[in-house]
Amino acid sequence: MPSTKEIRTRIKSVKNTAQITRAMQLVAASKMKKAQDATMAGRAYAMLLAEILESVSHQEIAQNHPLLAPREAKRRGILIIGTDKGLCGPLNGNLFKEVMAIKDDVAYVTIGRKATQFISRTKRPLLADFPLSDKVTYPEVRAVVNYMLELYTEGKIDTIEILYSAFVNTLIQQPTIMRIVPLSGLHELIEDVKKRYKITLSDTSKDEREFIFEPSAAEILHELPALYVKQLIYQSLLGAKASEHSARMVAMKSATDNAKNLVSDLTLEYNKARQAAITQEILEIAAATQFN
Amino acid sequence: MALKLEIVTPEKIVYSQTVDEVVLPTAQGEIDILPGHQPLLTMVEGGEVTARGAKTEHLAIDKGFARVQSDTVSILTEAAIDTANIDVQMVEEAQRRAEEALKVAREENVDPAQIEQLEQVVRFAVIQKLAKKKNY
Repeated sequence: MPSTKEIRTRIKSVKNTAQITRAMQLVAASKMKKAQDATMAGRAYAMLLAEILESVSHQEIAQNHPLLAPREAKRRGILIIGTDKGLCGPLNGNLFKEVMAIKDDVAYVTIGRKATQFISRTKRPLLADFPLSDKVTYPEVRAVVNYMLELYTEGKIDTIEILYSAFVNTLIQQPTIMRIVPLSGLHELIEDVKKRYKITLSDTSKDEREFIFEPSAAEILHELPALYVKQLIYQSLLGAKASEHSARMVAMKSATDNAKNLVSDLTLEYNKARQAAITQEILEIAAATQFN
Repeated sequence: MALKLEIVTPEKIVYSQTVDEVVLPTAQGEIDILPGHQPLLTMVEGGEVTARGAKTEHLAIDKGFARVQSDTVSILTEAAIDTANIDVQMVEEAQRRAEEALKVAREENVDPAQIEQLEQVVRFAVIQKLAKKKNY
C-alpha cells in the first residue's frame, strides 16, 4: 500500500492536470462557438453559388470548360484537412482510417501538421502541405486552391477531392470525402447539401423558362467555377475547424471528468491509509502501556 | 405579385425581404427587375441596389453575381451594407488604412491574394461613400 505522502502527491498532480484540461475545454468551447457560427453563416453563400453555377453548367459552352468537363480519374488528388495540435479525441484517427481504406492511385495535399506527419510516415505520395491559422482567411485558402487547380489543369491529378471532418453537431463529426472537381455531379451535390443543412434560401427551381445571361454565358463562366471551388474548400475548412474545436472540447471535458473521479478515488484511498496509520499508532501505544 | 430580394455574402444573409421592384447595377448599366421577369443571370458591378417596397431601401454592394428566377432576386457578393448604416467617417478611416497597407504591400512584394483583399476593402469603401452621398 502506498504511503499517505505518495497519495497526497498523486492527488495534487491529478488536480493540476484537471485544471489544465478544464482551461483547454473552456478555450475550445469559445473557439467552437465562433467556428460553428462561421460555418453556419457561410452555408447560404456556398449554396447560392452552387445553384448559380448549376444554371450556367447546362449551357453548351460549359461542356468545354476544363473544370466542368468530365475526366477519367486515373490519379486522384486528395486534400486532407487535419489539425495542427492533438488532444482532440479520435478526430484525426478517423480521417486516417479513411485514408487507409483508399486503394487507388492517389496524390495527397495536406493541411494541418498531424495530417502531414501521417502521410509522410506511412510513405504515401505527398505533394505539398499548407499551414492554416485558427481563424481561416481567404488568402490562405487561395494558396491551396490555386496550387490544386494548377495540378489539375496540368493533368498531374485527375480529380480534386477533399477529406475532412464534416461538422454535424458538437458531438458528431463525420469524416467525409467530397469530390469537387470535375464539377459534373453538381446537381446531386446541391440536393445532398440542401437535405443535410436545411438551407433557408427560397426555392426557385419551379421556374422552367430559359435563362438569359448577361453579358454572356462565356463571360460568367470565366471566373465562376474557380470561385466556386475556392468557396467550397473555404467552407469545408470552416467546417473542419468547427469539428476540431468541438472534438477538443468534448475530449477535454471527459478528461476533466475522469480527473475528478480519479481524485475522489484517491482521496478515499488516502483517508483509508491515514485511518490505518492512526489505528496502528493507537494500537502501539495501547500495547506499550499494557506491558509497562 | 411581389419579388423576393436576397443578398448573400460569405458572412451572412444581409437582406431577405419581399419588395415590389429591384434596381440592380449590372456590368451593362442599371436594370430594373419587376415581378414576372424572365430568368436572368448577370454579373453585378459594385454599386447600389435599390429595393422599392412599402419603403424604399438602398444597399451598397460589392461586385458579384445576381440571379433572377421564380420572382426571386438573389445577389451573391463579397460585401453588402444598408446605406442607412454606413458611417462615412469609419469607412474613410478603413479606406485610408487599407490604402496605406496596400502601398506597403506593393513595395514589399507580398502575397497577391492579400493585395487583392486590400483592394476589395478600398473598392467597397468607395462604393459605400458614393452610395451614401447619393442618398443623403
